[in-house]
Amino acid sequence: MHILIVEDDEVARDYLARALGEVGHTVDVAADGLDGLHLASSIAVDLAIVDRMLPKLDGLALVQSLRATGRKMPVLILSALGDVDDRITGLRAGGDDYLTKPYHMSELLARVDALARRGNSGNADAITKLKLADLELDRMTRRVVRNGKKIELTAREFQLLEFMMRHSGQVVTRTMLLEGVWDYHFDPQTNVIDVHISRLRQAIDKDFDKPLLHTVRGAGYSLREDE
Amino acid sequence: MDGARRRSSGPDQRFLGVLDTSPFRIAIVYSIVFACGAAVLLGAVDFAVSRVVDGSTDNLIQAEVQGLRELYLVLSRGDFIEMVEQRSQDQDVRGAVYLMVDPQLRPVAGNVPAWPKIDAGEGKWIQFKVSVPFGDETREHEMRAQRFPLPGGYRMLVGHDVQERQDVKNLMMRGLIAAVVLTLLLGLGGGFWMGRRILAQAGAISAVATQIMRGDLSQRLPVRDADDEINTLAREINSMLDKIEQLTLAMRTVLDSAAHDLRTPLNRLQATAEGAISDLAPGSAARRVLERVSTEVDGMRGTLDALLRIALAETGTVARESVDLSELVRSMVELYAPVGEERGIALESAVATGAHIQGSRQLLAQALANLLDNAIKFTPDGGRIRVLLRGSSTEPEVIVEDNGPGIPADKREVVLGRRVRLDEARKFPGSGLGLSLVAAVTKLHGARLVLDDAGPGLRVSLKF
Repeated sequence: MHILIVEDDEVARDYLARALGEVGHTVDVAADGLDGLHLASSIAVDLAIVDRMLPKLDGLALVQSLRATGRKMPVLILSALGDVDDRITGLRAGGDDYLTKPYHMSELLARVDALARRGNSGNADAITKLKLADLELDRMTRRVVRNGKKIELTAREFQLLEFMMRHSGQVVTRTMLLEGVWDYHFDPQTNVIDVHISRLRQAIDKDFDKPLLHTVRGAGYSLREDE
Repeated sequence: MDGARRRSSGPDQRFLGVLDTSPFRIAIVYSIVFACGAAVLLGAVDFAVSRVVDGSTDNLIQAEVQGLRELYLVLSRGDFIEMVEQRSQDQDVRGAVYLMVDPQLRPVAGNVPAWPKIDAGEGKWIQFKVSVPFGDETREHEMRAQRFPLPGGYRMLVGHDVQERQDVKNLMMRGLIAAVVLTLLLGLGGGFWMGRRILAQAGAISAVATQIMRGDLSQRLPVRDADDEINTLAREINSMLDKIEQLTLAMRTVLDSAAHDLRTPLNRLQATAEGAISDLAPGSAARRVLERVSTEVDGMRGTLDALLRIALAETGTVARESVDLSELVRSMVELYAPVGEERGIALESAVATGAHIQGSRQLLAQALANLLDNAIKFTPDGGRIRVLLRGSSTEPEVIVEDNGPGIPADKREVVLGRRVRLDEARKFPGSGLGLSLVAAVTKLHGARLVLDDAGPGLRVSLKF
């Protein structure tokens, strides 16, 4: 995937470029807003990572200009400001996701993956049946079946599983789950998400040979079929 | 606030609201004073006129009585009767009445049809009514007279028609009442009109004030092109608001630069550490050191996030939206229940439906999360936590109660301060910012935070 990084902080930019390159992406970098806008408009970029405060042209203005000229590629906004109001302003300007500094690379990579997948899957809301190996989830009937056997889930467990299935094969972080399933943006002091995940795991994996819900150390969770 | 709320709720309330305004009250008082003044003035005029007119009539009658007494002595009875008849017919002496009766009280001469049956001594003033022809009809006229005896058992009545005077008096009385009623009506009407004007302005001001308190500092009070007290006051308040807005924006700018200047190097530190870690062999000493650095950055980020959120809440510049508090409390309880169950802590809840407030959903969620984190942290295994949402839909109260060790009464105020950790809490992890954030968020939403004894345990109440 071709990713454009617009970030004025050299250390952060280099590390970002290196990490994204290591996982197989093609990376272009820009150190200010104008350069970023120029690059984003002239080359085929699949995804942009834009710092919010940039010299010459502000990050939000950059995203707005991109959207105004019809560029629809996913944009992840990085911000050294707050995360309460600034997230809303960032998303309103046309950003697709918002990450506050300092971040872990695992968090950023997981979000880039999710954004890239969202860009490809088109109208994901229209899909009513999600399937992974022998696990099936029907959004209309709200039924979950694994290997022909019906699995009883609470409303929240169902939402959690739906989110995981939409991101199957990817790493999903705890904050992504808290945002995506509960619509909350804070760091809980206690391991609330882990407990919810372990309950879901009890429900879908306990009576079956091959576990589908995996813990990714230092990053989060992943729902996938192990080879 | 109460007044504003009442004034904006329906036409009846608005009407009643006008009655409460100071112009209306002043108008009422003035009207009553004016009406009383008019009454006193007209009363005094009436009294003075009565005295002058009554006095002259009475003198006239007394002179007549004296004259007739003397004439009776010099004239024969027949001549006297004739003279009384003549005077009775005399059109020049307008309104004079006479009646002479015999010992059986039968009229002998005069223009009064019958001897008035009034029990009053000789020489006393009497008033009675007589039917007088008035065009084709007759009218009852008021008479004022004196009676006196004549030798031979005859009696004489001399009086005067005072109806005209009575008419004038009645007219004056009606004028007086009309004037009083009119004054009162004008006063009430004027007062109502002025009251409505004031109320409209006050309503506009209180609507703006509500918006400002909700955090929209760009709002200004409406000012009319007039130099009255209210407009002068509104202008002064507006320049005060300019100042507050400037200060708040400056505060927000400082906050944003502080956030930027702290997050950027922390991010660089994290990037450097993480970048180096991936190059080092797992388990090597250098890698362990860098992992430690990375963990410390996480800790600093947590503290920084909390501090910035507290500061943000304290500037009051957070965007507000309508928050379904019932949904929020329910979903937070649902989020935390499994964590409690892991430790055998029962998370009970009773959440009233339909509670909505204006505020920041994310900050409210963070505050509730901090309370629940604390409760779970300090409640012993197998304990109990209760979360309640009660009260009206617009003024709800959220209560988080545990049966842990609680906070001693003398330290409840202290823990709301920044970075306070009681000695008893040192064995638990935490930044000590949890409750200060709850306090700042509570204040931002105009709510009241009360820490209380749950006997045993801590009871935290947020009253919106």
